[in-house]
Amino acid sequence: MSSVRSSLQKQQSLPVRPIIPLVARISDQNASGAPPMTVREKSRLDKFKQLLASPNTDLEELRKHSWSGIPREVRPITWRLLSGYLPANKERRELVLKRKREEYFGFIEQYYHSRTDEHYKDTYRQIHIDIPRTNPLIPLFQQPAVQEVFERILFIWAIRHPASGYVQGINDLVTPFFVLVGKLHQRTPFHVAALPLETQRNIEADSFWCMSKLLDGIQDNYTFAQPGIQNKVKALEELVSRIDEDVHNHFKKYEVEYLQFAFRWMNNLLMRELPLRCTIRLWDTYQAEAEGFSHFHLYVCAAFLIEWRKEILSMVDFQGLLMLLQNLPTIHWGNEEVGLLLAEAYRLKYMFADAPSHYKR
Amino acid sequence: METIWLYQFRLIVIGDSTVGKSCLIRRFTEGRFAQVSDPTVGVDFFSRLVEIEPGKRIKLQIWDTAGQERFRSITRAYYRNSVGGLLLFDITNRRSFQNVHNWLEEAQSHVQPHSIVFLLVGHKCDLEAQRQVTQQEAEKLAGAYGMRYVETSARDAINVEKAFVDLTRDIFELVRSGDIKIQDGWEGVKSGFVPNTVHSSEEVTKGGRQCFC
Repeated sequence: MSSVRSSLQKQQSLPVRPIIPLVARISDQNASGAPPMTVREKSRLDKFKQLLASPNTDLEELRKHSWSGIPREVRPITWRLLSGYLPANKERRELVLKRKREEYFGFIEQYYHSRTDEHYKDTYRQIHIDIPRTNPLIPLFQQPAVQEVFERILFIWAIRHPASGYVQGINDLVTPFFVLVGKLHQRTPFHVAALPLETQRNIEADSFWCMSKLLDGIQDNYTFAQPGIQNKVKALEELVSRIDEDVHNHFKKYEVEYLQFAFRWMNNLLMRELPLRCTIRLWDTYQAEAEGFSHFHLYVCAAFLIEWRKEILSMVDFQGLLMLLQNLPTIHWGNEEVGLLLAEAYRLKYMFADAPSHYKR
Repeated sequence: METIWLYQFRLIVIGDSTVGKSCLIRRFTEGRFAQVSDPTVGVDFFSRLVEIEPGKRIKLQIWDTAGQERFRSITRAYYRNSVGGLLLFDITNRRSFQNVHNWLEEAQSHVQPHSIVFLLVGHKCDLEAQRQVTQQEAEKLAGAYGMRYVETSARDAINVEKAFVDLTRDIFELVRSGDIKIQDGWEGVKSGFVPNTVHSSEEVTKGGRQCFC
């Protein structure tokens, strides 16, 4: 393990907030012009295609294969299946899609005009001012048509979930679905408004439903006082105290509190810490895990923190630690780094999930 | 360069969503204007040294808070350990000015038994044509609460330095006069460290070797 870890150790660069890279880089090593698929990649893709073509997709089997990454070509459909949006039964899919898309646009018709109502105008206002600030460095998200889609998705979700409403961070969570479901990473450069209207509508409705499914599992992250996040940050602290006493004691010594850096890790599911292409790879696994976003994410955060143990231990004051933890240099991360992170998270989960107290020191 | 400082002050920056808190802090700590910046989630940390008199340096540790209501349960934990604060509103957004009172109440109810020296900041003063709050009424409000008032622009770098330095000077005077006391278990003000000892991360990252002797 240690040799793997040392080869992974990133050179410390100047503290620069990780910038979400351009959409063109999302597909990374899979993009056209990239090296051709290896034999192994080809056989993985064939396995996915076979599962997806079956009259009843075996979701367990699909999860098993998805855990270590979904081939780009089949990601959009696989995500929609794993999120529970599409049924396993192939024959029913078209019908379900049609019905769900109609349902979503029914919501729009029914509710969207209420954004100017006294009761909802604050919600809409917050969404409206946040959208231009979502993925500000990716040109795609500066297109008016895209911003309108995000506004509608977020507003409808917010008013249908009054216990949480719209909370900053949720806007980020639409992004991977929108990019993936719309296969937008394969269509650059282009304007969403130039797509056929029906395609635009399908992308919007599918993104809404996939995001809804994700948020169903983590809604307590965003309800009053954000108990889901508070609990997970506590659990992270507890876990790190068991797996890496040095790091834990280092934080104690310099009075760094986990909430000071890990709040954002939970609230935005590490999206602010990682390039978008890494989030997409991460979500392959989260959707393959039974409680990926709500539970496994905790172990990923622990593994992510320990990944930087050398840099952390070299910082000898509060300020240095906080600046490091807020600006972890992941800009060059790709599938390999995420793969190792996930493997380590899996190991931690296996060792420590509901571990009896004898694991405690 | 030595980074020896007399005191360390912790400041908190508060105000409505999108009044420009993060941009103001980034202009002050990084010297540049970010055209785009994603909404602050929870709390972010920044730091800079300022010289209030020749040879007298103060280290500022600045908490940048999220403006959205839902994050209050997180951000309010940061009031207690702050000695100073910048309360921002956007001069082109009347509503953010009307909320100044609420922000002060919010702060005061969570800072007991300490208190925070606040500076009222009318931000985005480069957007004069869109102004919705006059300087006079802002000064009047600030006066009513015993605050100073300054108008700033992160975009055009107007008064950004002045806002932070004036606040730092005011706090420094209160510390010097004994009105603000250093206390164990309170992070608002810390005394500087003894020269010849390296504590600071700036020293380490700038190639200085850590010395535990």
